[in-house]
Amino acid sequence: VSATCRVTINGRTVEVPAGTLVTDAAKVADVHVPIFCSHQKLPPLGACRICVVEVGMPRKDKEGKPVLDASGAPEIAWMPKVQTGCTTTVADGMHVRTESETSVKARKGVMEFLLVNHPLDCPVCDEGGECQLQDLAFAFGHDFSRMDEAKRTFDSEDLGPVVKKEANRCIVCMRCVRYCDEIMGDDALTAHQRGVRSEISSFNRQPLDCEQCGNCIEVCPVGALTALPYRFKARPWDLRQHITVCPYCSNGCSVRLGVRGNQVLRARGTEARGVNQEYLCVRGRFGYEFINSPERLTMPLMRLGASLEPASFDSAAQFAASRLREIAVQHGPGSVAFLGGEKLTVEEQYLFQKLARAVVGTPHVDARTRFTSRVTAAAQLKAVGGGRPGPSLASLTTAQEVLILGDDLQGEGPFAQAQLIRGQHQFGVHLTVAHPRRVKLARPKFRGDHLALRPGSEVALLNGLCRALLELGEPQGLPPAAAQGLAGLKGALAEWTAEKTEEATGVPAAALKAAAERLRRAERKVVVFGRAYTEHPEAPALLQAVENLGWLSGALTDERSSILYVGPQNNSQGALDMGLAPDVGPGYQPAEQGLSAPEILKAAADGKVRALWIVSDHWLQSAPDRALAERALERCELVIVNDLFLTDTARRAHVVFPASSFAEKEGVMVNCERRLQKSVRALPPLKGSRPDWEVFQAVAQSMGAPWTYRTAEDVFREIARTVGIYRGFSWSTMLPLGPRWSDAQAAAAPASLAAAKDGRPAAGEGLWLLSGGTLFLQGSLSYRGALLPRLAKHARASLHPGEALRLGVADGDPLELGGPSGSVTLPVEIDDAVPLGAVFVPYAFQEAQLNRLGSPAGAGLRVRARRADGVPA
Amino acid sequence: VSERGPFLFKDIDTPELTGIETYRKGGGYRSLEQAIGKKSPDEVTEIVKASGLRGRGGAGFPTGLKWTFVPRQSPKPRYLVCNADESEPGTFKDRELMEKNPHLLIEGMVMAGYAIGARVGYIYLRGEFETIQRILDRAIGEARAAGLLGANVAGSGVGFELHTHLGAGAYICGEETALLSSLEGFRGQPRLKPPFPAVEGLYACPTIVNNVETLMNVPAIVANGAAWFRQWGTEKSPGTKILSVSGPVKRPGNYEVPMGLPLRRLIDEQCGGVRDGFKIKAVIPGGSSVPLLPASMLDTGLDFESMVAAGTLLGSGGVIVIDDQTCIVDALYNITRFYEHESCGKCTPCREGTYWMSEVFERLESGHGRERDIDLLFDVSDNILGKSFCALGDAAAMPVMGAIKHFREEFEYHVRHKRCAVNRRRDEVRETTGATA
Repeated sequence: VSATCRVTINGRTVEVPAGTLVTDAAKVADVHVPIFCSHQKLPPLGACRICVVEVGMPRKDKEGKPVLDASGAPEIAWMPKVQTGCTTTVADGMHVRTESETSVKARKGVMEFLLVNHPLDCPVCDEGGECQLQDLAFAFGHDFSRMDEAKRTFDSEDLGPVVKKEANRCIVCMRCVRYCDEIMGDDALTAHQRGVRSEISSFNRQPLDCEQCGNCIEVCPVGALTALPYRFKARPWDLRQHITVCPYCSNGCSVRLGVRGNQVLRARGTEARGVNQEYLCVRGRFGYEFINSPERLTMPLMRLGASLEPASFDSAAQFAASRLREIAVQHGPGSVAFLGGEKLTVEEQYLFQKLARAVVGTPHVDARTRFTSRVTAAAQLKAVGGGRPGPSLASLTTAQEVLILGDDLQGEGPFAQAQLIRGQHQFGVHLTVAHPRRVKLARPKFRGDHLALRPGSEVALLNGLCRALLELGEPQGLPPAAAQGLAGLKGALAEWTAEKTEEATGVPAAALKAAAERLRRAERKVVVFGRAYTEHPEAPALLQAVENLGWLSGALTDERSSILYVGPQNNSQGALDMGLAPDVGPGYQPAEQGLSAPEILKAAADGKVRALWIVSDHWLQSAPDRALAERALERCELVIVNDLFLTDTARRAHVVFPASSFAEKEGVMVNCERRLQKSVRALPPLKGSRPDWEVFQAVAQSMGAPWTYRTAEDVFREIARTVGIYRGFSWSTMLPLGPRWSDAQAAAAPASLAAAKDGRPAAGEGLWLLSGGTLFLQGSLSYRGALLPRLAKHARASLHPGEALRLGVADGDPLELGGPSGSVTLPVEIDDAVPLGAVFVPYAFQEAQLNRLGSPAGAGLRVRARRADGVPA
Repeated sequence: VSERGPFLFKDIDTPELTGIETYRKGGGYRSLEQAIGKKSPDEVTEIVKASGLRGRGGAGFPTGLKWTFVPRQSPKPRYLVCNADESEPGTFKDRELMEKNPHLLIEGMVMAGYAIGARVGYIYLRGEFETIQRILDRAIGEARAAGLLGANVAGSGVGFELHTHLGAGAYICGEETALLSSLEGFRGQPRLKPPFPAVEGLYACPTIVNNVETLMNVPAIVANGAAWFRQWGTEKSPGTKILSVSGPVKRPGNYEVPMGLPLRRLIDEQCGGVRDGFKIKAVIPGGSSVPLLPASMLDTGLDFESMVAAGTLLGSGGVIVIDDQTCIVDALYNITRFYEHESCGKCTPCREGTYWMSEVFERLESGHGRERDIDLLFDVSDNILGKSFCALGDAAAMPVMGAIKHFREEFEYHVRHKRCAVNRRRDEVRETTGATA
């Protein structure tokens, strides 16, 4: 069997891989075969029948030779019935015709059937103008209707706050139902009734209980499912559409913004482009409202006594520059620190650190403001195998075994989660989820294994896994540096038998051994970790343990890495690459050692750091200890903040620069698979706001630096020239999907195997405080619209029913959580996904303010919980 | 030879045949005991293959050949499923067979399961067959108690377990892949073929789906051999066939006849001819899904090949006799409404086409038909035919196209006179209820 097939479609012969569907082969041959029910991410269904074509094979005589007709051409034996192109795979020598009388009549017949019950309400339908049914009716349909009978009708329904359903328009292609089941894993939609009365709805006709991602709207080929936030807002031909990069998580989905005037009216997926194609999560699809928020800052602000007063850009920049210079001269450059920047473009990140290191002369630069211990960029790089080529988001669907360490991907990387769900459903990916809570991916539906470790036992679990891997045999082909550490590691891990690990973590010994075996055996595997580890107080030990796990399981080899770090922000990877870290400069080149974010926090609170520049970061919310951050802001002589909004952090600043949103500037974003993507300007910057790089340049120039960048692209050219890992890249190759960087030389990280020690006690006492990402909110931008906060509802403290019983609280009761530095009170939510002895509060909620409790230390943070209203149980 | 039939119906009316004792007295389970563990599975398959037994559910696929499609190397468990979702309008043979002789089905299933290497079998019953489910469950209990089902069938060391499952009332679940979806707990909708059930069926494991009557043929074939079975029927359609005759014949009901018997002899000899005062206008020979035969073609033989040659199908053997006082348009309207109601909604042509057809029929019947409606009806049917996902669409289209071909003047009469030429059903309804139906 040859790997490719030659297929002749409408007389044009093309060569396509064996197993290609006729509809896809037709694309290669430049022949249009329409589709409705077929979807690139769903297995063939063959329901709508619009793709019917004639298929035939050359007729052969008894000796197997092709029969020739009078003109000497091979005679084709056409199949008696038309076939659906979306379910027929090509065969070598196959002939397909789409324009023969039979094909055309069949297609027109199906088109006519599709319109039998479809209402003629295109003028008021949101899909009108970009409706596949409308387009194909023009292309293939009759110009009049033979159907003059009454159409069957349904009532329209609002399926929750984002989905509007007009079932009359539905052509029952089942894309929405299948997408929801197979890719979102939510099963929120179903078809009621049958035949012509088939109607898509939720199972109980109640508002959809799901991720509210709106992908059902995206994949609907007609106007049956439309987005309520966009309802009757615009006609698609009135919109300018710009494909850019989503500003939320580190998956870096391509998002198509629909802009009219200076208003962003909607966001959609890109159908065929981007890492995500049509997929967007709820934040990406409905989280654009902040761009047009009336609360955006439109003028720089300067402190005059107790109040912040509007100022011109030039005077603000000059003031900031002169104060920075003064403080640096008076107290040394080391009294200035630069914080934040994980949401900036690569160009801005580069200039931010250049401003710090080259202009001000301070080594104190760190973008990772949420970290609770000193974590170097070098350690983070080492844990994922240095500059070795890493796993892609696409590889999540094709791996055999995926181990997810500590992160709830529903909040941290919804697209990565969707890839895993699809991979599990369609390609049999096995999931192992090591998480104290039963997160979505640990649900029985996905048939994975849930290693429900006790909070605070993360290091113990990884040590146990490593020891179990060692028992399966020595790892082969270790780089010399790693091999050197093997003996020492073996000794250190000797005590971590599966039984002891079970004792320490609560994960059954058998489950641990099985997980180790799956990981070792799988040829294609991915280990995923994220902020749950890097923001952990034991982060250095955990990163070493992840690396140990990588080398011992084969997830790290000398050639490539299969460890994926899902960073907390959309450009966390760019921030590392550009050296927004205290130990490396751009491209991971060693730099003078500075203070890390938690160290800057302490130094500023102690008065050792006197000037802070905070960009794109609501520091009071993100710093691990709010009390300390408040004190730091109070004591600093100069606080400069770049933000879109007047956050509580900005209110305490001396200078506030209004920043442009992601949609208003150009630049490069690097996602978690280290792919560079170009963000485009969809609308002009809001009047008064400026892209951050212009602010940095203005201040640098005022400080006497000879910076002459005319555009952000100028900055990128300098990066491509000087930073090894990006050498040779240019903007022109990044529309919208750019290359993924990997450079084992420029970003060489020494491989090592070393014991990961734990055992320090947690801060505080009482219940373990579990925190993590949540779906509907991420970062301070997501509060600024109406929809996301409405979906997220109020922050709650989730407790296991048993724990609630013990504390004498019921659903909705106020619960006071008391930590070492303070307390917060939140309503209780009963949730059996949370383990006993713990309380879960997502950190994205503005009102939750978990950092008031105090900074986690050692194994984590424990809090005393009690009913806040004093009513005894 | 019993009056009701030479083979399956020979002793069907024996009192208490549903009990295992009576069944065993008549030689029941002897074939099973002689085959399981004594003949190899391949031998059993070979006998069935040689007998030429063809599926009795409608398609007439050779049963033994189907059994060989189970992949031999597959490590997955195999399943045998009995299609007892008898829903074809005009067909009621499986119902009587199971009501009266449940043990024969069990014996047939154990042997078929043995032949294909299945250890579990399911009987998928149509939703209305609650009584039959009770009968079967009782019989299964008896067989299990007698050691004929379970971990060690008849002491052979071979295991076979059997379960009944009641459908939820959908015609489409008689289509084998829809049946499997329903059995798995999903929406009863047909699946894409290939993969065929023999390769990936129930729970994506190799599965053979056979009709009740087919499976009941197996024990006697294995016991008596292929040549014995071929004493009935034609070369290509051996054996007997049970036909369910309905309509204005003197003795409607189930009849077992050798394959190839002319349709006319079935009606005249077995059923005693049509009732006085009626003449045959047409006959639907194989359940409502097949095109009708006009009265001029009554000499066609009741076997798969002759029926195809006559432009119709033997189908499931539901012989519906239509008399000269029945309105063909009304009859087809009735059938079309059935398909519109039973269309699962998966594919466009069947879902929308059957709705459109029944709307046009309603207009014709209510006296508002137009000349062009007849061609429209034909063209709509033609647009369904061969374009639908499963055979249900074809089943809805073929009878209508056949009727228009053979009885176009009746359709034209509706357009010109705005009423039916004759309509016994409506007259009878009016007489009994006083209403205008």
